[in-house]
Amino acid sequence: MNNYYFDNAATSWPKPESVYKSAENQMRNMFGNPGRSGHTRTLDADRLLYKTREALAKLFNVKDPARIVFTLNATDSLNIALKGFLTKGSHVINTAMDHNSVLRPLGRLIKDGIITTSTIPCSKTGVPDLGVLESSYIPETKLLIINHASNVTGTIAPLEDMISSAHRHNVKVLVDAAQTAGTRNINVEETGIDMLAFTGHKGLLGPTGTGGLYVKPGIDLKPLREGGTGSQSELDIHPESMPERLEAGTMNSSGLAGLSEGVNYILETGIDNIINHEHQLREYLLKKIIDLPGVNIFGPSAEDESSCIISITIDNADCGEIGYILESNYKILCRTGLHCAPLAHKAIGTFPEGTIRFSPGVFTQKENIDYLVDALKEILNMINN
Amino acid sequence: MAHRCYITFPTTFYAIRVESLLKDKTFNYKMVPVPRSISSSCGTALSCSCEIINEIKIYLENFNIEFEGFFRLEEIGLKTPSVEELYLDE
Repeated sequence: MNNYYFDNAATSWPKPESVYKSAENQMRNMFGNPGRSGHTRTLDADRLLYKTREALAKLFNVKDPARIVFTLNATDSLNIALKGFLTKGSHVINTAMDHNSVLRPLGRLIKDGIITTSTIPCSKTGVPDLGVLESSYIPETKLLIINHASNVTGTIAPLEDMISSAHRHNVKVLVDAAQTAGTRNINVEETGIDMLAFTGHKGLLGPTGTGGLYVKPGIDLKPLREGGTGSQSELDIHPESMPERLEAGTMNSSGLAGLSEGVNYILETGIDNIINHEHQLREYLLKKIIDLPGVNIFGPSAEDESSCIISITIDNADCGEIGYILESNYKILCRTGLHCAPLAHKAIGTFPEGTIRFSPGVFTQKENIDYLVDALKEILNMINN
Repeated sequence: MAHRCYITFPTTFYAIRVESLLKDKTFNYKMVPVPRSISSSCGTALSCSCEIINEIKIYLENFNIEFEGFFRLEEIGLKTPSVEELYLDE
């Protein structure tokens, strides 16, 4: 009952018990440096990484696990994809719902004179304008970046329509699945996703410092980092074989051990059960606050498909101050402000103040939502009296 | 002179994938550190009798495994053995 954590869109908590145990077991017993020595502790660590890659491949329906590389987080994955794929003169299409993890690497590439971009506007509920998308392709367009779900509103992008559109124009697709990996169905082979960037510590229920990037066969990214891999040590350039092409230096084995169990938990629970649970929580919360005077709700309606995010503002109240009261008076943890997505707030009309964001998770229960709603009602009384 | 054969891989990923693929098969093999006489690389190799190396290769080709090389080494204990690279496709 004392789970007052509503910030799963920032990082999920709690994790399944197996995640904590697996990370510790790696450090205690499977501690070899993967790919380096040939002793049994190293082989144990190699097997652990392989198992993690296989679990991710199963979850995302990726045929060849070698095409999934481990990264630090979604930001890292997006940087590897963008800076490894785009060449001078490339044109990129992105959307207004993008996070700074996309906007800032693009900003750097624009500043350095390497690329140009077109940003697709989004509706008040965060849906990209597909008409504008269709008219944005130019001969130099190389990449469409799709924000699978907004971290501000939870809005799910029309993934398949956008992929079809890009492929009709011979343009590759990079999907930012920071908010959806582990909480929505993502089928790489069926949808034809060219690159999929995801983090391990949100919906996948793993530790921070883990993430990954899927790269479709035929796309050879220029590595962002080069160095030790434990293989082909006689070469003076980084190996070209995947996954090591994009993995340099010692891997985060303990984190990946945890991630492996996070993914296994999702596979065992069933992603559709997770989607249903989170949909019910979101609907339950929205229906309880929709008629509260002074509360403004942003994003998809309660019935609509959405990531489990509820963004609100309260009339005559500072978001940050509400967040502070929620924690100090009620021990409720949430996130307030711009959520690293300034264009998204401009699209929904909450820039520069931002919103108060609640993101229940797979372990949140309806009683926890009741507690949150009671707290919000008390705060509204405080504001209005 | 007895010999032992080895398959090496470009990345550790493929060595572990091979181990996983052969787990339930009856091939007599071991995963071992790559012998220094084959490569300065520090990865893991598959070691098997030279009679079955081609059979293992043919089986693994069904799974898009990337190979680095195939080798035959003299079994002479801790001394550096002579190495013969095998070209199994020929």
